[in-house]
Amino acid sequence: MDHLAPSYRLALRLTGSSEDAEDLVQEAALRAFRFRHTFQKGTSFKSWFYRIVVNQFYTSTRRKRHTSTTSLDSLADATDIFLFARSADAGLLRPDADPSANVVSRMAEDDVARALAALPDEFRAVATLYFMEDMSYNEIAEILDVPIGTVRSRLHRARHMLQKQLWTVAEELGIVPSASGAGAGDA
Amino acid sequence: MTLDRYTCLETVRRLDDYLDRELNIAERHEVERHLETCDRCLHRFRFEAGVLEELKAKLRRVNPPENLASRLRDALRTEGNG
Repeated sequence: MDHLAPSYRLALRLTGSSEDAEDLVQEAALRAFRFRHTFQKGTSFKSWFYRIVVNQFYTSTRRKRHTSTTSLDSLADATDIFLFARSADAGLLRPDADPSANVVSRMAEDDVARALAALPDEFRAVATLYFMEDMSYNEIAEILDVPIGTVRSRLHRARHMLQKQLWTVAEELGIVPSASGAGAGDA
Repeated sequence: MTLDRYTCLETVRRLDDYLDRELNIAERHEVERHLETCDRCLHRFRFEAGVLEELKAKLRRVNPPENLASRLRDALRTEGNG
């Protein structure tokens, strides 16, 4: 049960719901039990189990025909250093400012989770593995069973999508001035 | 092998890999050499590092429900008996 807490964290950020996360961890545990003979001694149990969690997540989302609430198109044009550029445009950056005093630091945990939940499944999966644990790209590639180059490119895009979505959430919350000029906070 | 000095664009392109410690030693060295002399890029890198730390800290702040362990034990026991 050593991996219970991190597995639940992973499941919660993948599904976005505590109920679904509990079900996902249970389904993954049962599957791991049934297929325990496929685990190779000397390899990482955590990676093996996380792979089951992620695959089970994909299976359940396909079954429920769940899709993220935000279309890929609306996030696809997120550019490099999106938050930095937007923060600079909004006059929220000063050269001498504490780097931790960024937009994200003023958002609640649930708001950050809401932004992550808006990412399309395959991008949310790679981003969740990345943010939940200090894993290398290679470890993430093993879990997702994809080439390391795919991890790098998906993660790169996922981070930019997330930054764009974070800015949208920050606009909704009035933490930053909205593009329309309405409901802007005095940030 | 000596690399040419990176431009701002080349440095920012390596931002993610640098923060994730995925660059090789030579590339990492070149990024750091650029940051030593470019306040603008240094400011960007610090901003991104700060955002990354905030995201990790906030997304990791989760505790599993107290009854989850017993729920799993029950489910596995039932599976084992079946």
